[in-house]
Amino acid sequence: MSVAHTEAGVADWDPNVFREGVYFDELYLKLRAECEELIGMYEDSRSALIPMAHLFQEHEGFTSPNALAAIAHLLNLPLAVVESTISFYTLFYRKPVGKYMLQVCRNLSCIINGAEEIMAHFREQLGVGHLETTADGLFSYEEVECLAACDRAPCMQINLRFRYDLTPAMVDDMLAAMRGGTFPVKPLAQTQAPGRTWKVEQDTGRKSAGGVGVSDPNNAGGVGDRSGVIMLDRVVNDPAFAARSRERLVRESQLRPSSGDGGHH
Amino acid sequence: MASPVVEILTKGIGELNLRDIDVYRSTGGYVQLERAVKELGQKAVADECTGSNLRGRGGAGFPTGRKWSFLPNNGRPRYIVCNCDEAEPGTFKDHMLLEQTPHQIIEGILIAAYAIGCHHAFIYIRGEFQDGFEIMRDAARQAREAGIIGKGIFGSDYDLEFTIHRGAGAYICGEETGLLNSLEGKRGEPRLKPPFPAIKGLYGEPTVVNNVETLAYLPHILKHGAAWFASVGPERSPGYKVVSISGHVKKPGNYEVPLGITIRQLIDECAGGLRDGRTFLGVQPGGGSSACLFEEHLDLSYDFDTIAKAGSMLGSGAMVVFDDTTDFVKASFALIRFYAHESCGQCTPCREGGSWIEKTLARIIDGRGVPSDIDVMKSACHQITGLNLCALGDSIEPFLGSVLDRFEGQFRAYIERATPVPERVAV
Repeated sequence: MSVAHTEAGVADWDPNVFREGVYFDELYLKLRAECEELIGMYEDSRSALIPMAHLFQEHEGFTSPNALAAIAHLLNLPLAVVESTISFYTLFYRKPVGKYMLQVCRNLSCIINGAEEIMAHFREQLGVGHLETTADGLFSYEEVECLAACDRAPCMQINLRFRYDLTPAMVDDMLAAMRGGTFPVKPLAQTQAPGRTWKVEQDTGRKSAGGVGVSDPNNAGGVGDRSGVIMLDRVVNDPAFAARSRERLVRESQLRPSSGDGGHH
Repeated sequence: MASPVVEILTKGIGELNLRDIDVYRSTGGYVQLERAVKELGQKAVADECTGSNLRGRGGAGFPTGRKWSFLPNNGRPRYIVCNCDEAEPGTFKDHMLLEQTPHQIIEGILIAAYAIGCHHAFIYIRGEFQDGFEIMRDAARQAREAGIIGKGIFGSDYDLEFTIHRGAGAYICGEETGLLNSLEGKRGEPRLKPPFPAIKGLYGEPTVVNNVETLAYLPHILKHGAAWFASVGPERSPGYKVVSISGHVKKPGNYEVPLGITIRQLIDECAGGLRDGRTFLGVQPGGGSSACLFEEHLDLSYDFDTIAKAGSMLGSGAMVVFDDTTDFVKASFALIRFYAHESCGQCTPCREGGSWIEKTLARIIDGRGVPSDIDVMKSACHQITGLNLCALGDSIEPFLGSVLDRFEGQFRAYIERATPVPERVAV
């Protein structure tokens, strides 16, 4: 509880120093045997990385910088390696989250069966958007990909427990039960107060898997766009597009067209 | 009309508590594993699998026996990993099998492990399946106590460890080499192939990765014989399959059927047909990665080869049915956003292409589309497929491409309603 956390990915935890009364140090001592058991399940200790992160997150409510450092220590890996793995997976929350993680499916079968209404209802009732936590720290809200329950769309998970065939009235009832402490799903551990979002700054929250997606059709018109990786490919591969782009580029930049077919071949 | 639905993997689901090992055993459970280990021997089990022509039920449809046959006899340890990372949009069969019949999955994994001579088997369960993970953990504990997992199973000299591994949210870990990286504690980024996992898989050793449903059929193939399975349905695509049907049908759900019945039968006779007063517009036959099929395809045989010939794929066997209320612009957006979100980012065409189309579709839905967006999307589609390390990139385009061809009017309507904004040129 009293551990001062630094920026995501940089931990202040030291395996050689035990600080009495410090939450994480005590948690580490408590979980160490279980971590070692996990390591023993695999031929290569690194396979225990994800299971160990699940274990720490279960107790801390998120995958803290200290947890990453502890995992790095237990697996004898550089912290950056642990960070690189953990940052790939959407179910590891890098910053504190609410006591109830509400994850509503936004994929195909749910979308064509009323998920938009459910999502709008959640946003309205909670007053937060995708990847945000309510100010009271009770709810975190995320719109997620297919949860493999398409026959009972729209569906969602609350702290990874399924809820099916959602209606706005059901949503209201569930939110009331969570607020009133009568909801049958156990709240997540909450060892620190959550902020507005649990995504780290470098991560826009749009990519589960490290992709960047830098090129942007809203800000690209053709060959003049330096971010347009795809556009560049198109100019190379699509003569009709190349001609149009060239015309526009000429118009815009008042350059003269080069002869032949653009000099891209 | 006789229902085409059969009960093989799905037998007892909803009636019996098959999570209890005693209940499972009372239905003949673990008998085939014991028979394999004590009577049949390794080669006979592998031969039965090959002879059944069982093709992978996870998406690629690769013949299971042949996959096993690629393992080199190099004296190295070998591994089997059951792929329970089910996340293909529209697919919910493994979810059901995991929660309802965990012992059947364990028996399938163990039979396969024995057939390939492996001593450490894994199941990789998608991180979201918390319930399924706990159910499987409990089932494995029961099996271990019964002497079915561990040293000298069924009193034989065959030892087998079984490890349940939970993922943490990433569709790409369903790709077999992404899965292996994830199981090794790494980012779930697919590997360059070759070498295929059969040669260099988990920890660099020969490895087989098979889908849950594929493995769950093994006890039944041993029980009834390879010929029983091979004789059902089309010769090159035989056997039974659990088909997940969702979307605009009266009775969405999992239906186990013989391959080779028609798409129309699946929709009408299994899933109760369309909702009243609605007309059919299309069906995605094999998960989010498959191209949409239409009215003229309804009488096609539902099997790997026929659906592929029609320009789509059987994939994971997940059908999403669309009636005339469907907004195909939003439907496409939901899928494209998914692929853009789940791209691991290694390959530029997939990473940038998916994201580019997603942003274009978002702009169209937002009322800021321009007529050239349609051509831009078609063009971008053609520059993603076939250019990536794994099949995720190839999965971005098929659905959008097929509905853009058929329902271009829906996309144009959005654009015509839009307040046109001047196209910007960034220099």
